[in-house]
Amino acid sequence: MSLAPDAHLLIIGAGLAGYYTARQMRTQGHTGPITVLGAEAHPAYDRPALSKAYLCGTTDLCDLYLDDPADPLDVRWVRSDAVVGLSTEPLGVRTASGTFYLGDAVVIATGAEARRLGGHAIRCVEDAAALRAAPLAGARVAVIGGGFLALETAATCTTRGAGSVTVIAGEELPGLRRLGQPVAQALHRLHEQHGVRFLGAARALSVTPAGHAEHPEHAEHPGSPEHVITLSDGRRIEADVVISAVGAVPATAWLTRSALALDPETQAVLTDDTGFTGIPGIWAAGDCALWAAQRTGLRPVGHWQETVDQAQALASAMLGGVPSPMQEPYLWSDQHHVTIQAAGMLALADEVQVLAGSIEAGDLLVSYLREGTEIGILGMNRLREVVRWRRARRIRPAALAA
Amino acid sequence: MFLTEEGTVHALDDTCTHQDASLAAGWVENCRVECPLHESTFSLRTGEVDQPPAKRGVRAHQVTVQDGEVLVELSTAVPQLPPGVEVA
Ligand SMILES: Cc1cc2nc3c(=O)[nH]c(=O)nc-3n(C[C@H](O)[C@H](O)[C@H](O)COP(=O)(O)OP(=O)(O)OC[C@H]3O[C@@H](n4cnc5c(N)ncnc54)[C@H](O)[C@@H]3O)c2cc1C
Ligand code: FES
Repeated sequence: MSLAPDAHLLIIGAGLAGYYTARQMRTQGHTGPITVLGAEAHPAYDRPALSKAYLCGTTDLCDLYLDDPADPLDVRWVRSDAVVGLSTEPLGVRTASGTFYLGDAVVIATGAEARRLGGHAIRCVEDAAALRAAPLAGARVAVIGGGFLALETAATCTTRGAGSVTVIAGEELPGLRRLGQPVAQALHRLHEQHGVRFLGAARALSVTPAGHAEHPEHAEHPGSPEHVITLSDGRRIEADVVISAVGAVPATAWLTRSALALDPETQAVLTDDTGFTGIPGIWAAGDCALWAAQRTGLRPVGHWQETVDQAQALASAMLGGVPSPMQEPYLWSDQHHVTIQAAGMLALADEVQVLAGSIEAGDLLVSYLREGTEIGILGMNRLREVVRWRRARRIRPAALAA
Repeated sequence: MFLTEEGTVHALDDTCTHQDASLAAGWVENCRVECPLHESTFSLRTGEVDQPPAKRGVRAHQVTVQDGEVLVELSTAVPQLPPGVEVA
């Protein structure tokens, strides 16, 4: 059943998924009122720059606003009021301030929260602002995590003049499990060339204030650091600044007692491949959700383009229009002036082939195959090649409808 | 500089207005170029942008083709550079 043109849509969460859902609803012709309820005090903003340009100090929060002040969406934004409960009968939500909002449909778009081991984390602009204000010049920085967010942050800390940057990636080479040997080697080399140090497969077990550490005499650095990180192999790493980038958990605590099905492992809202939860009128998209294809491992979780594509597919399903196809998954990352782009179903690959470039030059173009068929590509400063690969595989809405 | 499948020639500023990406590496279709990073597309004729994340268009320059030579008259408008990027 598609949404009536004058229906009131409630969107919970004013982040990327919330903004793009509102935008897609308008683009695809919805004329009824749209209310976006957000916990944050800011207008909806884009997060990728928080670990890059914003952290370097070259862009400011107002540069990251998603809505264009010169051409704003026809949407009512409610800020600084977190939603605390969902009601299915009548359909609506309750906020921390005690207000109840009735809606004809609800889109859950509350994103995720950083898992915090101690020290800094980067999920929202306050996190990034705290790290931006931290005295990084000359400091011993330790970054926990081996994903793109950790590597980007490590790169940014070198730009900011950190005295040393150590990454505790928890695997022999960063990205080895997800991206394969050649790319992991190239990333390792790229970062080492910029002075970043890796600690191999050891994992971080805990972060403690330096004064409270049990055996500070075993520490690797002299001086009086702020924190001590204990590793799984027994080593203790001292650091002035610790940043944990060890993944995120869906922001769904407010839904645990609702009728919605949550993933037992991650607590993400489970939906079909249009974002529909199975409960009439309730949909979910973005980092708080696990769509069917993500649950089976076909598609990645926690990336910008995934959220943008979901918003489009959700809006067309909700409005009963021509279905919007999900394109090949796509993600990018910027590290030390290298733009890394990956497209396709990398997680399913059983073989990795280097098509061009070298580990030494940091300009790899790598193909991912499954049973001999190419299913994905990754490029380091290979914008043309990645664009071409994605365009050749683009599914047009008409093709899906036919 | 862009040469379309139809044989027309266009000139735009190369840097996307969203971030520092080269539009020359983008995809050209229907007289628009799609940014190679986040899919905003710009008109090759006017430089105008169709969808976020970029909010502003790029400058389009006047191109004339004379006896096989491409002449470009640079726009006098102020370039729309992404935040944090300055004219070299
Ligand atoms: C630092 C950083 C860098 C990144 N870089 C890249 C990158 O380079 N490439 C890439 O592909 N992806 C990147 N990503 C991932 C991408 O930004 C996310 O996938 C995207 O932000 C997900 O959008 P979302 O709307 O689901 O969640 P969010 O953007 O987190 O938005 C959710 C919003 O909901 C609000 N909210 C939460 N709970 C409630 C509640 N109960 N009531 C009301 N509001 C609530 C939150 O405050 C937040 O404003 C990055 C993410 C981060 C954090
Ligand atoms: S850099 Fe061009 S759209 Fe983002």
